[in-house]
Amino acid sequence: MLDALDKELLKAVADLEDIPKGAYNIRKNGKLLTRANSANISIDSNADGTGIVVAIAPGTVNESVHIPVILSQAGLYDVVYNSFLIGENADVTIVAGCGIHCGTESPEGHAGIHEFRVGRGARVKYVEKHYAAGKGSGKRSLNPTTKVFLEEGAQVEMELTQIGGVDEADRLNEATLEASSMLMIMERVLTEKGQTAISRNDIKLAGTDSRANMISRSVIKGDSKQNFYATIEALAKCFGHIECDAIIMDNGTNETIPALKAMHPDAELTHEASIGKIANEQLMKLMSLGLSYDDAVNRIIQGFLK
Amino acid sequence: MLELRNLHFAVDGDDGPEGGEKREIIRGINFTFEKGKFYAITGPNGSGKTTLAKLIMGINPASSGSILFDGQDITNLSITDRAKAGIAYSFQHPARFKGITFRELLNLATGIEEEEQLVSLLMRVGICPLDFLDKIVDAKLSGGEIKKIELATTIARNPKLAIYDEPDTGIDLWTIGPMVDLLKREQKNYGTTTIVVSHNKVFLEAADEILIINGGRIVFKGVLGEAMNLLNDMSICNFKSCCEGDDQNARCFR
Repeated sequence: MLDALDKELLKAVADLEDIPKGAYNIRKNGKLLTRANSANISIDSNADGTGIVVAIAPGTVNESVHIPVILSQAGLYDVVYNSFLIGENADVTIVAGCGIHCGTESPEGHAGIHEFRVGRGARVKYVEKHYAAGKGSGKRSLNPTTKVFLEEGAQVEMELTQIGGVDEADRLNEATLEASSMLMIMERVLTEKGQTAISRNDIKLAGTDSRANMISRSVIKGDSKQNFYATIEALAKCFGHIECDAIIMDNGTNETIPALKAMHPDAELTHEASIGKIANEQLMKLMSLGLSYDDAVNRIIQGFLK
Repeated sequence: MLELRNLHFAVDGDDGPEGGEKREIIRGINFTFEKGKFYAITGPNGSGKTTLAKLIMGINPASSGSILFDGQDITNLSITDRAKAGIAYSFQHPARFKGITFRELLNLATGIEEEEQLVSLLMRVGICPLDFLDKIVDAKLSGGEIKKIELATTIARNPKLAIYDEPDTGIDLWTIGPMVDLLKREQKNYGTTTIVVSHNKVFLEAADEILIINGGRIVFKGVLGEAMNLLNDMSICNFKSCCEGDDQNARCFR
């Protein structure tokens, strides 16, 4: 059912060697390839057939659900609307991601619009990897949108990674946090050649004692360009932090704009941002351990994006 | 084992009337470090101690003169090649890395991955607790922690020549003694030629030979006892006769 190419893409975006255990939904070239439910996790097509609804029963713990998308059909731009309903006090891992294999001159792309409703006290780890490969010259684009609503006491940790091969990415992350909920976003993006990537993030801290931490690590090589925008708006006593670091190499360019808006006197908001080349002292140290200049550069970037 | 021949190092100075004047930091150093000995390099701030240490490691390129290591001219070798030849360097202000752990640095320094061997390496170094292994070597570490890690990665290289630039910066008082013992033990057990740049008397006392650098030149080489007068003289200005005067009109030769 899965050919070698499918397997390579699945391995890259979801660390899957084969069909996973538990609940999963694998979408290939805009259509459902295979799906399975578990006792606590159900996956159904949505009413208008444009995506899926993943429902996780309250109290479900230590379960995971895989929903990778793979694309290898020339000229296809696949748009999908997925909803995740996470029951109270559940504790689950959701592994998404999209792998594109482009073998022709025609463009291929995917836009995944994901909406999460995370119930009271639930914990979610969301892992999303984007990857593109193939010898074709067609443009590969990935434009994900992620909307997260955290109810009281919910915790969401998001790992968003785009490493290699994607020509154009325009990402939007939106989140609204109710009381005592917590959101942690870790975004890592590497661009090279003429690639462009934009990341827009809007986080609203609506509830008392809500917390958000947005970390972005960018490596911009070749003639590529990355823009990062993040806004945390505080409407209550809360804590928010944005940390965005970019390493620029060759002719790479970067625009980073963190913004903080405090609409409540007890809001505590901070940010740190840096753009620059790899620090000389880091290169010197690794070279003094016997690494060549190029190996030192690679090792520093590997750690930075880990 | 390490010979410095008429070594000079200059940087671009402030633009003078003619523009682009060179400023000499190291002004013709000649010295031979003998195998297995412990040297302390000291001198006033800005005298060129760290610059000299960095010239030996290749971090600063020599402007003229040459450096011979075990008979091989290394003047034009890169940092990487000098490291491979057996020179290790401990930075005064160690680099911090996002996402790289102490374990990974040790692995890069030695090629060792096995837990048992890493633990025995830490036992040998002695000053780093085992729970350091999985710490990320980033800005969250204290000044003392990062210095211990720096020292460990230097020793882990099993160098023929180890250079330590101000190894006690940020280190608590109770660790300095064990640190001196460690460097002496490495010298004794592995025959490591050791160069410590320091102002701290405990390192000067531990050294077989002291070099005092001032104004980019070696102004003294010998044992600590003989160096003390000169060091005391340098520590505060008291209008010595060498300054050609005994009042506020004295000419300063420092």
